[in-house]
Amino acid sequence: MDFFYTYIVLAEIYVLLGLSTNLLVGIVGIFSVSQAAVFGVGAYLTAFLVMQTSTPFLVAVLLSSILCIGLNILVTLPSLRVSGDYFVVTSFGIQLLATAVFTNWTGGTGGANGLPGVPAPWIAGHEFVEPSEFAVLATGGMALGCIAFWLIMRAPFGALLRAIREDELAVAALGKSVLRAKVSAAALAGAFAGSAGGLYASFLSFIDPSSFDLDASIFLLTMVVVGGARTLAGSVIGPFVLLALPQILALIDIPSSVAAAARQLIYGLLLIAFMLFRPQGLLGEKL
Amino acid sequence: MSAYLQVEGLNKSFGGLQALRDCSFTVAQGRITCLVGPNGAGKTTIFNAITGFLVPDTGHVTFQGISLDGRTSQQIVRHGIARTFQNLRLFVDLTARANVLAGMQDHVGEEPFTAIFRPFHTARALAAKQDAAMAVLAHVGLAAQADMLVRNLSYGEQKLLCIARILATGAELLLLDEPTSGLSGAALSDVMALLRRLQAEGKTLLVVEHNTRVVQQIADDVLFLHQGHLIAQGAPADIIADPKLAEIYFGGAI
Ligand SMILES: Nc1ncnc2c1ncn2[C@@H]1O[C@H](COP(=O)(O)OP(=O)(O)OP(=O)(O)O)[C@@H](O)[C@H]1O
Ligand SMILES: [Mg+2]
Repeated sequence: MDFFYTYIVLAEIYVLLGLSTNLLVGIVGIFSVSQAAVFGVGAYLTAFLVMQTSTPFLVAVLLSSILCIGLNILVTLPSLRVSGDYFVVTSFGIQLLATAVFTNWTGGTGGANGLPGVPAPWIAGHEFVEPSEFAVLATGGMALGCIAFWLIMRAPFGALLRAIREDELAVAALGKSVLRAKVSAAALAGAFAGSAGGLYASFLSFIDPSSFDLDASIFLLTMVVVGGARTLAGSVIGPFVLLALPQILALIDIPSSVAAAARQLIYGLLLIAFMLFRPQGLLGEKL
Repeated sequence: MSAYLQVEGLNKSFGGLQALRDCSFTVAQGRITCLVGPNGAGKTTIFNAITGFLVPDTGHVTFQGISLDGRTSQQIVRHGIARTFQNLRLFVDLTARANVLAGMQDHVGEEPFTAIFRPFHTARALAAKQDAAMAVLAHVGLAAQADMLVRNLSYGEQKLLCIARILATGAELLLLDEPTSGLSGAALSDVMALLRRLQAEGKTLLVVEHNTRVVQQIADDVLFLHQGHLIAQGAPADIIADPKLAEIYFGGAI
């Protein structure tokens, strides 16, 4: 049963990341390949706060989200200066930089060996240790994220973001600030990624840089491609489908080293196949 | 007395090419002023300079006595000037209604905080704006197309929607870049009728127009631009009758 709940919790955490990536890449059209870096900062900060300063879990996650709001604004700012293709390169650089920090700052992150012993969340005298218990928290977090996403997409803010994706110049000609809208979207994406990080660190109780590297960022993009861009349903289904894959591979009796390689192979094939044959993903729109 | 819109001594060079040279003119309130001139004369560049899309090398733009120098395109819309684009630039994957809504100002929930934390307030305000957007669409004759994707509208409908979208901003002075180009027959007369109607409602129009018959029928004043310089200004009949201008206009085209 833990096996099942672990899958649910991880998928729900990745839904928050899917919302974050979809908002930035799918909706605004800022092609970021460094969302895992922001996710990582949220995870490490929450771990630090609860381990070193005994900050309560919810406060730690909130603070991590706030830091990631600022951080995500900072890392997406270059997209306002350099256009499309060039931003991907910039964003790539940001991701590499983050990985270098996560791996080498042994004092803060435990370096490549990782950071063990992140305590399970305590809320109102209750400890959420078992995956089935944690699932309650993760479901709550995912629900809040989905509601927020749904609300902005049906509000004029969502309409403004869609318009910006189509034609920034036309938006400016209608008296709207493109800069403000993009910064707001980046802030929201940062909040999603930061809180996902906090949940992730507390759930696994062990984090290391491999969860927040370039592969992880590309995995987040794969979720959006497979799930579908710009829709809530797409952001939810992508993580559930992709995270089912390692679970299924684990059920088949093959060595774990082979399974890991097979997983990468299948993710790669899925990415290519969807881009070529179903660019709108399972339940979304064309990226 | 200052003019409604006053453009003074605009110069703009793109590398070696001087697109505007000491270009000055005025536009009177409540009138339809047509800006004419051969291809490459600098008509669109003037629009870009007035609306903050490019900064002229020298020169000033004054609207209702207020200097627009150094203002951003957003601020200029706030002052009551809006422009269309020669190549439309509609949001083609959105509906006609969404395009008009995008033009409307002061939406509640156009930033995430209000959208998330005051959802009912946002929804109520949006419902009210929907009605206003429908009214704008009905005004230009596109009520039936409100929920169609723009990419599925006819070219004539798209041209009307461009005007609807800037009308939605509430602007008083409308700069229309070739609103009739590519149109004929009923679609052409629809746009011309709309322009007259807007004038009757008190809007001021500055219109880039190539079709001399259209100019003759709708213009109160004509500005003739040649190589970035205003070389003539007057009533449409006088400008069109001038053989020197006809030579420049048609000589260059052939
Ligand atoms: N951003 C730019 N960079 C370089 N050259 C430009 C730019 N914008 C305009 N030009 C040049 O300036 C000149 C005037 O262009 P403009 O678009 O204003 O002409 P126009 O009168 O609108 O012509 P048309 O009737 O063809 O629309 C042209 O030679 C054009 O190539
Ligand atoms: Mg032009």
